[in-house]
Order: sequence, then C-alpha cells, then structure tokens
Amino acid sequence: MTGDPTRRRDRRARLVLHVLLGLGLVAMVGPFVWMVLSSFKPEEEIRRVPITWLPEDPTLANYAELFSRLDFPTYFTNSVVVAVLTTAGNLLFCSAAGYALAKLPFPGRRVLFGMVLGTIMVPNIVTIVPLFVLSSNLGLVDSVAGLVLPFLAQAFGVFLMRQFILSIPDDLLEAARIDGASELRVFWRIVLPLCRPALATLGILTFLASWNNFLWPLVAATTEDTYTLPVALALYAIGQNRTDYDLLLAGSVVVVLPVLVVFVLLQRHFVRGIATTGLK
Amino acid sequence: MTRGTSRRGALLAAVTAVALAATACGRDEGGNEAREGDRVGSGRASGEITVWAMGTEGEKVSVLADDFMRENPDAKVIVTPVPWDGAHNKISTAIAGRRTPDVTMLGTTWVGEFARTGALDVVPPDLVEPGDFFPGAWETGVVDDTAYGVPWYVETRLLFVNKAVARRAGVTGAPADWAGLKQAVRDLQSRGGARWGVYLQPGQTGAWQTVMPFVWQNGGDIHDGEKFTLDSAEATEALAYYRSFYDEGLSSRDRLREGEPERKLLSGEVAAFVSGPWHIGLLDELGGEGEYEVWPMPGGEGEFTSFVGGSSMSVFADAANRDGAWKFVSYLMRPEVQVTWYRTVSDLPAVQAAWEDEALAGDPLLATFGDQLDRAKAPPAIPTWEQIAAGVDTELEKLAKGTASPADAARAMQQQATAIGTGG
Amino acid sequence: MAAGASSPGGSRAGSLSRALTGWTFVLPFAALFLVFTAGPVLASLAMSVTDIRGADLLDPFAVNPVGLSNYLDLFADPKFVQASVNTAIFVVAGVPLTMALALLVALGLNSGLVRFRTLYRVGYYLPVVTSIVAISVVWRFLLHPDTGLLNASLGLVGAGGANWLNDPAFALPALIVMTAWRNLGFAMVIFLAGLQAIPQDLYEAAEIDGARRWARLRHITVPMLRPTMLFVAVITTIGYVQYFEEPFVMTQGGPLDSTLSLAYHTYNQFGFGDYGAASATGYVLFVVVVLLSIAWFRLLRNNVDR
Repeated sequence: MTGDPTRRRDRRARLVLHVLLGLGLVAMVGPFVWMVLSSFKPEEEIRRVPITWLPEDPTLANYAELFSRLDFPTYFTNSVVVAVLTTAGNLLFCSAAGYALAKLPFPGRRVLFGMVLGTIMVPNIVTIVPLFVLSSNLGLVDSVAGLVLPFLAQAFGVFLMRQFILSIPDDLLEAARIDGASELRVFWRIVLPLCRPALATLGILTFLASWNNFLWPLVAATTEDTYTLPVALALYAIGQNRTDYDLLLAGSVVVVLPVLVVFVLLQRHFVRGIATTGLK
Repeated sequence: MTRGTSRRGALLAAVTAVALAATACGRDEGGNEAREGDRVGSGRASGEITVWAMGTEGEKVSVLADDFMRENPDAKVIVTPVPWDGAHNKISTAIAGRRTPDVTMLGTTWVGEFARTGALDVVPPDLVEPGDFFPGAWETGVVDDTAYGVPWYVETRLLFVNKAVARRAGVTGAPADWAGLKQAVRDLQSRGGARWGVYLQPGQTGAWQTVMPFVWQNGGDIHDGEKFTLDSAEATEALAYYRSFYDEGLSSRDRLREGEPERKLLSGEVAAFVSGPWHIGLLDELGGEGEYEVWPMPGGEGEFTSFVGGSSMSVFADAANRDGAWKFVSYLMRPEVQVTWYRTVSDLPAVQAAWEDEALAGDPLLATFGDQLDRAKAPPAIPTWEQIAAGVDTELEKLAKGTASPADAARAMQQQATAIGTGG
Repeated sequence: MAAGASSPGGSRAGSLSRALTGWTFVLPFAALFLVFTAGPVLASLAMSVTDIRGADLLDPFAVNPVGLSNYLDLFADPKFVQASVNTAIFVVAGVPLTMALALLVALGLNSGLVRFRTLYRVGYYLPVVTSIVAISVVWRFLLHPDTGLLNASLGLVGAGGANWLNDPAFALPALIVMTAWRNLGFAMVIFLAGLQAIPQDLYEAAEIDGARRWARLRHITVPMLRPTMLFVAVITTIGYVQYFEEPFVMTQGGPLDSTLSLAYHTYNQFGFGDYGAASATGYVLFVVVVLLSIAWFRLLRNNVDR
C-alpha cells in the first residue's frame, strides 16, 4: 500500500466505475440470460406470467426438435456464406470508397456522398418491389448471388468509413506521398491499418445486419434450398395463430452464437491505432 | 459480378425508373364481368408442379403430395414452405417479378386482392363442385362472380367457456340470443367468480373478426353489393352491443397477448373468449382437456352468425404446368384426402362431405364447429379489404376504450371504407 | 464538407490524375451502389407519384401519374398525422437519450479499465443481438401493471405505478426507454472505435499541463470525437425516424395509435397494396431525415469536416 493520494483516488474512482458499469451490465443482460435459460424449458414454462428464470427441469428437447425438424446444415451454410461475403465486400468496397470520399478530391464527390446519405434515409420496405423486379431481370432470384449482391456495397458502410478516415491527420498521408508512395500504397499501408477499429466496427455491424436480415432473403429465395437461418426459423416457429416459443428461443440462441463469436473476435481490434504509429 | 452485367443492370434500373415516371400510360379500365375458366379435362397429371404453402401446412403438405405422386407417377410435386411472417410480401413481389410457382396457398382474405392483379387463373368449371364446400368458405374465393381460389381448410369462431365457472354460475348451455349471452356473461362474472365474464378483443389487428359476426347476427352486413353498409342501424346496434361489454366491466379493455387467453381461461380469471379451432390444441396442451366447452355464437335477425376463415389454393395464370397444378388442387379437395389432412395437421375440412368421417363427427367440440360453419361467412372478397379492416379495427379500439360512441365509430368506418373503395 | 485533404493540386495533369485515382477507389462501390441501391430508390420515388396499387403488380407501367396527390392526401390522413407526432416525439427524446447513455458507457469502458473489459463490451452489446421475442417477453414482464418489476419497485418507494403499455400516455415513453436500452450497444461500439482514433499524445500533453478529467473530456475527447458523433447522430436519427420493431412486437401501434410510427404506417400501407401512398410516406420520412441530418452536420461539424 502506498500512501500516494492520487493513486488511492484513482483506485477509488475505478471501483466506483466498476460498480456503476456492473449495475448497468445486469440491466443489459437480463433478456439475453432469460433467452438462454428459457431455451431449456418446455413451452408451458416459458409462457408463465410472471416469468420464471431458472428452468425447473432443464431439457434439451427444444434443441433436439430444432436440429431434427430443420435442415440445419443447409440454412446455416447459406447464412454463413451470405454474411461472410457481404461483410468482406463491404469492408473492401466501403473502405476504398470512404477513403476517396474523405481524402481524395475528385469531381462528383459531393454528389456521390449526397446520394449515399440520401439512400440510407429511404425506408427499405418501399424499395423491395423494384429491387425484386431488378433481381428477377438479372436472373439473380433464388441464388446466393441474389442474396449478396444487393447488400455488397452499402451506403451505411461508406458513411462510417468516411467519417473515421476524416479524422486521420493529413500530414501522415502527405508524408507518405512525398516519399513516393502510390495512392494504393498509402491506402493499404497507412489508412487501413489506422482504420482497424473502424473496420472492426463495420465488420461487426455488417455481419449482424446480414445475419439477421429477414425480408429480402425470404422474398429472393423461391426454394427452401436458398433459405437462410432467420427465414427457416420463422417458418418453423411462427405459425398463423400461434408462435412456438420453445423452438423460437432455442433457435435464437443458436442464431446468436456466431454473431457473438464475431463480436468477441473483432472487438479486440478496438485498440489505439494512431498512437502506435509513432505520429510526431 | 462482371462490369458488363452491372452496366446492363444500371441501364435497366434507370429505364424502369424513367418508364415508371414518364410513360405511365394509364391503366386499362377493364370490366368486372364474370369470367369462365378453361377446362382441365381428365387423365393423370404429369410434369413438375411447384407449390408454395405457408407455415405448418407448408411443412406437412408433402405428405399429401407423396400420395398424389403415387397416383400420378409422371408428376413431381415440389413444395416450398413459406413462413406466414412475410408471406404476403413474398407473393406480392413474386407477382411483380413474374417468379410465381404453379400453385399457392392463400389466406382467404387475400384471394380478392391477388385476383385483381390478374395473376390468378380462373378455377376450371370441371374441377370441383361449389356446393360441396361450406357456402361461406366458397364465397371467399369468388370475385366478380368468378372463382379464383378453392377453399382448402376452414376455421370459424366460437365461444370457449370455462366449464367450472359456468357450473358455479348456473349457466347451462349456449345462450340463443344477445340478451341471453349478456346475461350469461354477467352470471359467469358475478356468480361464477371470474374476474372477467368474457374477453372480447378490444380493437387492434383482427378485432373485426370478433365484431363483424355481431353485425351479421343482427341482420347487418359490410357491403350490400353496391355500397358499404357499415353505418346501418343494424351495424350501429352491433357496435353498441360490443361496447356495452366494456362499459359494464364484463371484458378487459387491455389487450391480451398471445399465450394469455388460454391460461386465463383455465385459471378461471377469464370465463370465456371468442376464438377458432386452434385453441383446442392450445388449451389441451396446457392440460385443459375436458375443462372447457364451446358455444355456438348467438343468433338473431341475420342468417350468418360467425366468421369463416382459413386458406385457399390458387393457381397462377402463367403457371408452367397449369393442368397438373389444378389436378393437384382437386386432389386436395377429395373428402378422404381432406380427412387425411385433418388427421395430419388438425386443419378443418372445407369440403362438407369430409365431416361425416368419424374423426370429425365423433368429436362433440368439432361437431359444434361443423354446425357453426354452416352459418358462418367471410367479408367480401375485395382487394382493399385488409385496408378497410385496419380502419375498422382502429374504430373498434376507440369503442372498447370508451373514447368513441357507436354512432361515431360506425360513421368513421363507413367514411373510411367508402374513401378507400372496393379497388375496382 | 469539401476538400479537407491536401491542397488542390498544382498542374492540370495532376488534378486529372487525382480525379482518376479518386474514381478508381470509388468505382466498385459506386457501380454496385447505383444498380442495387440507387436504382430501386429511384423506381420507388417514381411509384410515389403514381396511383400504383397491389392490383397493378403484374403490369406496373399501366398506372396513372397523379403528381403530388399521394403526398397531399397523407396530410389529410389522421393516422399519418398521429404517426408523425409520435415519430417526432420518439426521435427528439430517443436520439439524445441513446447517444448520451452510449457515450457514457463508451467513456467508462475506455477509461483505462483492463479487468472485465471484454465482459463489459459484450454485455452492453447483448441487447443488440438478443432476439426481439425474448426482449419483448422480459420487457413486458418489467412493465406488467400487476406483476411487473417496475411497478413493484415504484411501490416500494411509495410511488404509484402505471398500466404502462395499455395507457396512451405512458406507452410511447416506455417504448422510448426500451429502444434506447436496446440500441445503446450499437452506438457504444462506434463510439469505442472512434475513441481509439484520438491520438494518445494529446492526452499526455494535456496531463502535463495539469488538465483535469473534465477539461480533457471537454477540450480533447469531445472535439476529436465529432466525426464519430456526427455519424452516430445521423445513423441513430435515421434508425429512430424509421422505428418499427418495438411497437410491432410490444403494442402493435396501440393503445389508440399512441405508438404508431411512420415506418409502421408505411409498412401497413405497403401490406395493403397501397404502394403509391406507402412510397410517398417513405419519402416524407426521407425529407425529415435529410433535414435532421443537415441540422446534425451544422451542429457537429468541425474544422476537419466543413
């Protein structure tokens, strides 16, 4: 124990912070914990009012039903392929376009950025019919390409990357250019490494959005072979007059796992980018 | 994707947009006279038949398809199950993109809407006999005197009542008329000890299915063939009757969520509610078998006393295998296949002859449903019905919450329905 | 927001090559974007000035242009007006609430805590990924008038509870809080990433100058975080102007349309096959978001992004 008053104050502040964040954490995780616990309960117990937390008699029956009734490998593979391709495409195309919009003056830049912003603001539902007609004419219906292409370059990602790249100091890029680096090299060797936290964010959010997307995969698939997990789960768990909560919760737990894995893996990249590059 | 495709796509999108905006050549105001379908003839079906069906039906219809293929070895039925959630959007976009299957299942209130797009084929005259079906159910597929859908399975609404509460209240048997029902509900609450004598859905999506039967019981209707009649004296009286259950504290003004009605009925908190045959399964799963009974809806001046819903089968006009498609549909409507279907997923047969089977006739609960189906009807098969119904549901909520008078609500419903029109 | 980059190039050839480089970087994105996003958006814009209905699906060209009448009709529709008011309240209360909470959490998580850091990050992100069905069950339990945790807690401190989701006065506020709770993690992730982009040496220099925590926050963190805040503000505004899922699962827009949102109304109109009106509502939403975004750009611009 040192008698250093600043350190002691720091420690006390840290403790207070832990208590506050911990309390907040309890409020945040409640529904998730209930979802996981309830996936081991029979339907009757899930439906009780007021709700119960620990399962009286834990059962794996919901999971057994999920894996036996659904052609799980097919839907899972479709979901993974679509989400991975969509995420990879957005990371690449949006960071390149975001860089140009933030740091490279070119004619049409403002128009393009305006259009990008504008389209984020149009509700998806109103464009679904034209998008389907377009996909149908391009022969994309009922294919993985049809599920991926419309979301491969999204306005949201460009906006995100542009905003992050704006905060990279120009001197850093200028220094590299003076050293004779090509724009591609500047982008690849300087901008992208500095964007790690932003790329991680974009990866997390794009993967999640693609993974959970429901309406488009439903509309764009005309056979069961191209259904993704959320579509299949809705098919089997949500009926006309009843919802099977047992199947739905077990399915939700399975569906959420890959998203959490992606989050845990990518959130490690929330590390300081600029300080480590030795910026003067 | 190659750049070539993307340019072609961009061009196409641009053309679509420009064409939509500029050329808009005006719609062809076609007449609404009855049309005659082409015959399908006899003989076995052959070739691929693609079928869309929703939810449990989509998951299980392959059972019937297998039997069909045994009878028609040259035919191959390919079923795509579609989630109910989003099914309407999926069919709409498929029509716009011309990517429809041969056959699709449709909710009975959707047939009018999709028939009006011109995407549905007219039911062939030699396919089925309309008189074989419950009349109210057959009407759901008829638009402008032309049939576009064949009812596959049906449901209707009855009163589910907690037996123990009824016994305590001394209520024996179903009341015959409105006054009887009101008194029975009062007794269920005061003498039976239920917190609520009945639960009537207090407005919001689907409440019209509970309230329109009151209008029909009273001799009123939604549309008389020329105009909407939602503000008729009969309809207004029905709305007043509906509202009185809330005003007298007999029904909760708060909406129950999915899963709540069956629990509250079995616990005796709610003595009765109005619902369809699926509640038999839900109640039995909670161990409620034998704890409840069903009452037919009360009678009155009107011919019809309850609502009929369910699903139909329709064939698309540009089906690749039209004959095979209709043959599959007619197979589904055979009485013995309808019974098999009931045994598979508990869907009630739309074909009356199927009800003679012991599986249905021998069950007193189901027999009550069967009797009610003779006196059940659906809203008019007009394309705008869902939109009109949403307006009705809003006004019903105001009634239930006590913020609108029956006359105001009736006037508002009539006005909205007239403004929306029948989409013709 | 014009050139924040290097000074305009000297020679003509230089600026041409700059332009080429710029376009090379945006080309893959721009091609996909124009076809799959801008194209359908334009088509839907065209739909909003026609009388297209569900019955025209098979032949979308055979419709009549109706000019702006879809738009004018909206303002005579009481549901549209009610939904507009609800949406405005939702955005005005919800966006600042969500952003403030998310920023607080992000700052807390970024303040040098090493222990449990991943646990906190995952925990605060969980509502974003939790199934909406599970969320609705637990929140309904919290808000239940008889057996709910919230009314029970209020009872302990002697305050009367409310019939939250069935009372037109309380349903919308309850949904605003629930939505902020649910979206906080989304904004937090972006703030966390944004905080990493602030050069550490700025803080070190400030520390040497003896700047206190609050001063560092005000003079370094907040200004440096502006592009991120702008992004979060605009994206959250867009999301909240289009809020839909919470009323859909919790209240179906009720009681008495008190939680009906414009996006919900659009969804309904679309379901009714009223495509012209649905598109028009969609573009009214669009204009609202554009105006709000311009306001955010004005409010949060800094010397980098002018």
